[in-house]
Amino acid sequence: MEQAHQLVFIGSLLLLAGIVAGVLSSRVGAPLLLAFLALGMVAGVDGLGLHFTSTGSAYLIGSAALAIILFDGGLHTRRRVFKLALGPSVVLASVGVAITATIAGCAAVFLLHLGWTEGLLIGAIVSSTDAAAVFLLLHQRGREISQRVAATLETEAGFNDPFAVFLTTTLVTFASGHDGEPFAALMLHLAREAVLGAAIGIAGGMVLVQLVNRLTLAGGLQPILAMAAALCLFAGTQLIEGSGFLAVYLAGLIAGNSRLKSSQTILRFHEGMAWLSQLVLFIMLGLLVVPHHLLPQAPAALGVALVLILVARPLAVWICLTPFRFSVQERLFVAWVGLRGAVPIFLAMIPTLARLPHSETYFHVAFLVVLASLVLQGWTVAPAARWLRLEMPRDKHHGHRLDLEIAAAGSREISAYRVPLGAPALDRSFEQLPLPRRTRLIAVLRDGVVMNRAQLDRLQPNDVVLALTPPETTEVLDRMFAERAGPLADSVLGDFVLDPAVPMATFVDLYGLPATLGDRAKPVGTFLRQRIGRRPVIGDRVHLGLVDLIVRELDGDRITEIGVVLEPERDPLDGVSIRRRLKRLAGGARRAIRRRGVPVASRRPPSGDGA
Amino acid sequence: MNIADLITPQSVIANFRVSSKKQALQELAKKAAALVGQPEKLVFDVLSERERLGTTGVGLGIAIPHGKLPGLDRMTGLFARLDKPVDFEAIDNQPVDLVFLMLAPEDAGADHLKALARVSRLLRDRAVCAKLRGTDNADALYALLTDERTSDAA
Repeated sequence: MEQAHQLVFIGSLLLLAGIVAGVLSSRVGAPLLLAFLALGMVAGVDGLGLHFTSTGSAYLIGSAALAIILFDGGLHTRRRVFKLALGPSVVLASVGVAITATIAGCAAVFLLHLGWTEGLLIGAIVSSTDAAAVFLLLHQRGREISQRVAATLETEAGFNDPFAVFLTTTLVTFASGHDGEPFAALMLHLAREAVLGAAIGIAGGMVLVQLVNRLTLAGGLQPILAMAAALCLFAGTQLIEGSGFLAVYLAGLIAGNSRLKSSQTILRFHEGMAWLSQLVLFIMLGLLVVPHHLLPQAPAALGVALVLILVARPLAVWICLTPFRFSVQERLFVAWVGLRGAVPIFLAMIPTLARLPHSETYFHVAFLVVLASLVLQGWTVAPAARWLRLEMPRDKHHGHRLDLEIAAAGSREISAYRVPLGAPALDRSFEQLPLPRRTRLIAVLRDGVVMNRAQLDRLQPNDVVLALTPPETTEVLDRMFAERAGPLADSVLGDFVLDPAVPMATFVDLYGLPATLGDRAKPVGTFLRQRIGRRPVIGDRVHLGLVDLIVRELDGDRITEIGVVLEPERDPLDGVSIRRRLKRLAGGARRAIRRRGVPVASRRPPSGDGA
Repeated sequence: MNIADLITPQSVIANFRVSSKKQALQELAKKAAALVGQPEKLVFDVLSERERLGTTGVGLGIAIPHGKLPGLDRMTGLFARLDKPVDFEAIDNQPVDLVFLMLAPEDAGADHLKALARVSRLLRDRAVCAKLRGTDNADALYALLTDERTSDAA
């Protein structure tokens, strides 16, 4: 009994410490997951002396945690994001993973003096990426990245785990001597995993939606039902040799994009569970490793990490994304932020469980590769996004919304919004607000007092609005009550705005810009759409003479607002611009040194060059 | 291109009183028409024509209405600091109180864009805007706008 209480005490203490460490790490901009991992290491054998050596239970906990993380990833992926990235991400997750694994594997063979099977096994273990880590890092700083890149990274990470798992288990089978299976049989096996995983995932996702919508449950049970169903799908698929990882991700995708009763509660709950899973997973992996055993292998493992980051991933991304017309910047960014998260360390337990010789080598190398990736790439995600001009201002603030569930409201929920300054809802009179179907504004509170509808002419900032709304239209309301960022402060999206319906001829003649006769006849929106040449995302830009045109707002795939950038910075990759950047950097350093030498009183006021 | 090439002390107004976007454009057109010796109606039409393509209220209380005026011989600017901010249908829906009007000759070409870029860069500097808002004297405003030290930082 004593021991049970001790375990609960230590476990909860670790969770608390993890959350606090997370807060501290975001202050210094350190990757959150790194903090969790470090905490586990500090608490472990070489630090405070906690002994945790059971690879078996670690694998058990790890599987469940990964399944939950994948399910949550699916739940939060919007259909548009998925459509935008399906092609590129599937290619990245299959061909890309194979290329990455092979190159990293070769590096492991030479650097660690391993056999080919063992080397390639290491390649497979470290081949999958973790998008959750990337988004955590960006959101930590309140930034967004270009939707196309974000969607690709996110969807890729959902899809490449199953393939990495397959590669790893196959190579483990080889390494343990059962190398009887011919290539054709292997391919068949892979196809079986993929098909079963996809079929069960899609069908299971639909059943899950029906279950949640049909059963009348006490409010708190709805999300538990969803989670239990997801875990059941995951494990069930694994048992019949399908890919449970694929199944649970797809089930999440289906559920997240269907009409789901109490969807907000379910989403929130799984967000929390995904956090818990990340925390547990990383702290546990930190505990499991014996830091002083890592040291002998550190140089070789770092070599593998560098080859992975600088050669394998970029090459794989280049080969996979070039056919999809990704720009150089987009490819560079995707290549750089192929962050490694918990999956490689998790996969590295499989050799141990299969009792392969030197199994601790796999674990140590995987651990070090993840550590190197978190430090090197994790720390530089935000600057890389800025440098490659893929950073977007964040214009949606979901923080203003509060959801209330009422059992008697049928398929509708009550959402409360606090109206922020500059919200589009302030533009019109209360009567003329463009509300989606089946949506009612049931009350407006000003300074805590319910307003009389007859006297209410227009909403004011800081009013609280209660809306009765079907869950699928909350996004429309979110947009109406969202804060808009000041574009001048964030000139990323252009100096001026332009109506997409304006004829090109009118626009180019006004500013003396070049355009062919054919282009002059088109509306600007059509011209921009054609020049982008793929599904547009916010922030897509094309050069036109001295200016850039940029997509400011979209309604689905239709461009609804265009920005004009008057002084576009050159591509970060062209020679002139790199030289200018270096010069600016050198100038900044010189100024900093000079300032340090000058007494405070005689300093000139800072000239607004940070603007 | 310098701001001093675009405005003179005569083309800076410190306490401009208007109550709507339309009135602001009308009154500014009247002042600008007097500066360049062209009919007021023509200037107003050019500015309204441009607003139809998309608002020139660029956010944070700033507007840069502009257009090309036939028969003009040089780029001409006009700066007005509004007494009370007016609704300008700006991108961020915030009322506007600093207006930099720009008129370009028919054959201005690239200079038109360069001048606009220069003005936009100047007014993007929050420190400069804060000073402009805190000054109600035309000469002081002119000095602030044309002070290359404060305005050429970006």
